Amino acid sequence: MTEELVSDHAFHVWLTIMVGGIGVWLVWWEVRNLLRLRGKSTADAGVRDQYFGYISGLVIAAIAIVGTLKYNHAF
Amino acid sequence: MSAAATADGTVVPPPRVVPKINPANAVTASRFLTLPPFVWAVHTGQHQWATLFILICGVLDKLDGLAAKIFDCRSQFGELFDAITDGICYGFALIIIAAYGWAPIIPCVVLVVLGGLNTAFRAVYIKRAGRSINYKSYAMERVVGYVAYMIGFATANMEVQFFYWVFVPVMVVVCAHDAKRMLLDPIPEGTK
Repeated sequence: MTEELVSDHAFHVWLTIMVGGIGVWLVWWEVRNLLRLRGKSTADAGVRDQYFGYISGLVIAAIAIVGTLKYNHAF
Repeated sequence: MSAAATADGTVVPPPRVVPKINPANAVTASRFLTLPPFVWAVHTGQHQWATLFILICGVLDKLDGLAAKIFDCRSQFGELFDAITDGICYGFALIIIAAYGWAPIIPCVVLVVLGGLNTAFRAVYIKRAGRSINYKSYAMERVVGYVAYMIGFATANMEVQFFYWVFVPVMVVVCAHDAKRMLLDPIPEGTK
């Protein structure tokens, strides 16, 4: 077990799909979560924590997408 | 433990006791088994194998929840054990990749220190609550997920500098938010 598992190109494609795909999925997931919070009062600490968590998720998703674009020399 | 009767005669069943050694906790504990081969892969410079082992560690993290559901063995201890295992596995992996120069040292040190502080604050939160309880943080759940990916970015050599440095301010903000909630804010009703 001293060789790599797949070719560099296949590994590059897999990483792009894995990281970029999860980034895009996470945007959809967090937007859906945020929409579900509509109408709930932010006076509740639990709701505030949810808002904070979902927005953190969106930031992380943005990092994943930008990083994947950078990895593929988009800029 | 037998059932207890209340003043109005209602029989209250005893709380269900989940043994600490159960299938879900076994899956959680098995994550530690991925660390020796991970170290071996990093030591021998095999990026894809190292990525595979950290990926297995991450998949097992998802499977323990599934095992708890299937075998009906969810417990407060299990949640806490899962959170601690996350910290140990990912913290250890971060130290290894930083030590071998696969990731920038300063962000790794910041992450490990903040992760350690967060674990210490969890202990304080448990003390404040008066029983074994896992502090629930939506933001930290996402951060831990990302940290697992960060180890993968380093082992796969994927935009390592970008992914590590950009994440530091996010981690600082989330840790500060959670520290305030665990140390200062009142503990929500029903968890005390």
